[in-house]
Amino acid sequence: MTIATLFILLFLGIFLGMPIAFALGFSSVTTVLLFSDDSLGSIAIKLFEAVSGQYTLLAIPFFILSSAFLSTGGVARRLINFATDSVGHVKGGLAMASVMACMLFAAVSGSSPATVAAIGSITIAGMVRQGYPQSYAAGAIANAGTLGILIPPSIVMLVYSAATEVSAAKMFMAGLVPGLLMGGILMIAIYISARIMKLPAQPFPGFGQLFRSGGKALAGLLLILLVLGTIYGGVASPTEAAAIAAIYAWLVAVVGYRDMGPLKDDPWKRPGESLGSALARSLWQVPLAIVGSFTNREVRGVVLDGAKVSMMLLFIIANAMLFAHVLTTERIPHAIAEAIVSWGLPAWGFLIIMNLLLLAAGNFMEPSAILLIMAPILFPIATQLGIDPIHLGIIMVVNMEIGMLTPPVGLNLFVTAGITGRSIGWVIKACLPWLGLLLGFLILITYVPAISLWLPNLLS
Amino acid sequence: MIVRWLNKLEETVFCLLLVAIVFLVCVEVFYRFVLAEGISWAQEGSLYLAGWFVLFGVSWGVKHGVHIGVDVLVKKLPKRGQRIVTLIALAVCLAYCALILVGSYEYLSLTYMIGIELQDIPIPKWQATLILPIGMALLVLRFAELGWRVIKGEADSFGFSDEGQESMHLAEQRNPEDYDKEGRP
Repeated sequence: MTIATLFILLFLGIFLGMPIAFALGFSSVTTVLLFSDDSLGSIAIKLFEAVSGQYTLLAIPFFILSSAFLSTGGVARRLINFATDSVGHVKGGLAMASVMACMLFAAVSGSSPATVAAIGSITIAGMVRQGYPQSYAAGAIANAGTLGILIPPSIVMLVYSAATEVSAAKMFMAGLVPGLLMGGILMIAIYISARIMKLPAQPFPGFGQLFRSGGKALAGLLLILLVLGTIYGGVASPTEAAAIAAIYAWLVAVVGYRDMGPLKDDPWKRPGESLGSALARSLWQVPLAIVGSFTNREVRGVVLDGAKVSMMLLFIIANAMLFAHVLTTERIPHAIAEAIVSWGLPAWGFLIIMNLLLLAAGNFMEPSAILLIMAPILFPIATQLGIDPIHLGIIMVVNMEIGMLTPPVGLNLFVTAGITGRSIGWVIKACLPWLGLLLGFLILITYVPAISLWLPNLLS
Repeated sequence: MIVRWLNKLEETVFCLLLVAIVFLVCVEVFYRFVLAEGISWAQEGSLYLAGWFVLFGVSWGVKHGVHIGVDVLVKKLPKRGQRIVTLIALAVCLAYCALILVGSYEYLSLTYMIGIELQDIPIPKWQATLILPIGMALLVLRFAELGWRVIKGEADSFGFSDEGQESMHLAEQRNPEDYDKEGRP
């Protein structure tokens, strides 16, 4: 009865078009009022504690802010140049470079649709000019863009950690190998198809050029190293690493790259300027720019963007915690887990059902919202069946990746349609062969736990 | 004029809260590692600031269509049906706010009576949690405003944000032709 009320109210709310946060909150509060002795006061304070009680949760707004600073066309261009210089000379090199650029940009920005938009809008047109079929280029980019939530730092993984209290640092480590593996699989697939389709290669630009473009991309890429380094070097918790990353990203965007802010379009060294005078100019310009960015319209816009996404996510998480609280006090996941165990369903059978369930949910909802609703239910069941919590998290994240490519809510499909000017149907067809790869990868990840668990186990 | 000024103020406070948390956490790390002594109140402070940031921002988010939801079904209805469904959904949202508002009054009056303070910061706990009723009251205001606009026919639904749509500005600002001039792919 309690379960029915909770879920009927939730889905009624969602399909009435209520914001998911309020649907979660309302269904939980009402269920508590109807079926338990908790007072309204205790529910209210639970909501407040959910937004202000967990230090790990703060990593979410910080990472969102840092990615807002580095999700610019300028960063995308630098990464593409670097990727093209390093792998462009192989057969099908431009497509491989695009995949590599997608992986790098995705790791820095943490957002799949943003990756497809920023990288795809430049490289798809470039590939078509080089004689690649447009559908081939679009499919590769739409798929490579989903890697953003698997390669650390990833916001979706933080949401999973928040929902299940699994260590965020371990989740990040666990995502690294699968992320690189999927990137590798995509590149091998491109190499093979490039041989068959006789796709062109670029001339090798020489090591000088490679180092130059590498140096320009480095400032952005250092963010990944900075985050992973401070976490695993034991210097900082994920939350603190994220805060440092946010400051770093702000300085790189405003002072280093000058893509925005007071120094926009004013290079480190103006043409014809001597090194000495450029240094002298920086000496007063840089501090001025740091102070000036607080009143700069563009910088404020980026902060506002980051703030609104953070607030939206944190408020959903707060309400999802009320929801999870109702679930656990009613022992709903335990009841389901016991039922499943008593049926004698083996772990691999449960994983198949879970994958199907998540893939279906991925068609209708955003990754974070799905994780927050499903993780509290699936997590206790999985632990009873002896599935590692970290492995479970990686499986869920890969499922969410596929959800980005399946209609009607596949965000990457819409963005790809937007940048190519084609219909959604055309994009779906273009993505299909690549989606097959991703599904195969999901099976691999699901049934070979070592891929996800090897690195975190090695380091702990 | 005053309304515009208030909107600006709301946005600025909202952003400043986030920026304050970032700096607070960073300064704490600096103190702990460079000066070898932490700031005792930093963690609790940043957590309460986060609470204020989220609950203050929620109502702003309703006004600017920041929240996410599923509108595939509602969008299938005719305009009139959409408005009716949205009004029902708004009523449910208001009910949620009312429940939390009552709950926060219960809790706040209790902590006010007991008079406890925060763990590391000498501020009465009821003052630190004051944002809960304030945030909910602001939400009621924004939902009522949206409801009024739906009744008048100026709005049909919540206007959810769409991450895909928002990413498109990254694509639009780059013109492939410009890219050609640089002699790269």
